[in-house]
Amino acid sequence: MSRINDIGGMVGFSAVVVEPDEPPFHADWEAHLHALNALLIRQGVYNRDEFRDAIERMPPAEYLAASYYERWFAAVSTLLVEKGVLTPDEVAGGQDATAQRGPADE
Amino acid sequence: MSESFSPGDRVRTRTLDPAGHTRLPRYARGAVGEIVERAGDHPLAEDRARGLPGEPQPVYHVRFRAGDLFGSGDHAVTVELWQDYLEPLGTAAR
Amino acid sequence: MSGHHPSAAIAERVRHIESLLERHGVIAPGEVDRRIDDLLAGGTPLNGARIVARAWTDPAFRERLLTDANSAIRELALSMGGGASELRLKVVANTAEEHHVVVCTLCSCYPTALLGPSPSWYKSDAYRARVVRDPRGILAEFGVDLPADVRITVWDASAESRYMVLPRRPEGTDGLDEAELAALVTRTGLIGTALV
Repeated sequence: MSRINDIGGMVGFSAVVVEPDEPPFHADWEAHLHALNALLIRQGVYNRDEFRDAIERMPPAEYLAASYYERWFAAVSTLLVEKGVLTPDEVAGGQDATAQRGPADE
Repeated sequence: MSESFSPGDRVRTRTLDPAGHTRLPRYARGAVGEIVERAGDHPLAEDRARGLPGEPQPVYHVRFRAGDLFGSGDHAVTVELWQDYLEPLGTAAR
Repeated sequence: MSGHHPSAAIAERVRHIESLLERHGVIAPGEVDRRIDDLLAGGTPLNGARIVARAWTDPAFRERLLTDANSAIRELALSMGGGASELRLKVVANTAEEHHVVVCTLCSCYPTALLGPSPSWYKSDAYRARVVRDPRGILAEFGVDLPADVRITVWDASAESRYMVLPRRPEGTDGLDEAELAALVTRTGLIGTALV
């Protein structure tokens, strides 16, 4: 019942890894996604709680395997489709010519 | 809505395990804690996550002893909780 | 963190979604880039360091900061975002008797508008899961060994407030001015996993 994000107090996790002199973002796409999400929230496409809810609805194994911004990507994709802003095909497509992507690309 | 709480009030958190979004962490459910301070009024996160406007209600910093949450530990954990998550238990002796 | 998945594929998909949203008029062209610039130019741990240094040198400011941080930081021309998006800032002060540590167990809440993006370790599952149960163990991993009689309080950012720790002023810093004091403060100290 409790969702996979609700991990406070769970045991079995490893030591905390600290990256010295860490940059704010590790890749351009993370910065773009961060900004995109902030804009979508500001424009009322969805709110912060709906965003958190969308992350929490990730299948547990996917949640745990995903990096922080990969979780964001999953949530933003989910919400853009659910809010009717983009179609599932649009969200799934990379370049227009390769709109159909297989599971191997996930 | 029930009466709002004051610093020092003892409260017990809800044990309900909702199917959807909540901001009451699992480790702090069904636990007894003490109101530290009111932290403003906000619509319940559960409502907003469903796209509902929700009525603003008090939010509090609630202090728990680690032993009461995990069965061990000498520290305290302060969780920020909506009034709906809390039921009164009377005022702390201390 | 981000290296174990096909980063190029996800980068391409983010770019694709961004261009679709521009094409559909959901976002204006260039708006994302401007937002990134704002993001990187806005919050920084240096803001937190300035607040801490002021609190160390001005006891009345310290009181105001602990009572109503949003108002107090405006004295330094700082804010938690301002306007409708302004979140409540709660500052908790370390003392000889009590040490504070901040976490968001449910997601990754952090005073980003003031301090910039949080470090990856703060957002990691390991930190979120472990620090509420075993803060001394986490602190030991960060090289912080507190005396056994120092009480530890962990603050879980589970609702609308964002938290910042006010570290203790280090010994032997009497001769330093505010700017020199600010230079001592680290982002880790503002979260509570370092002493300063």
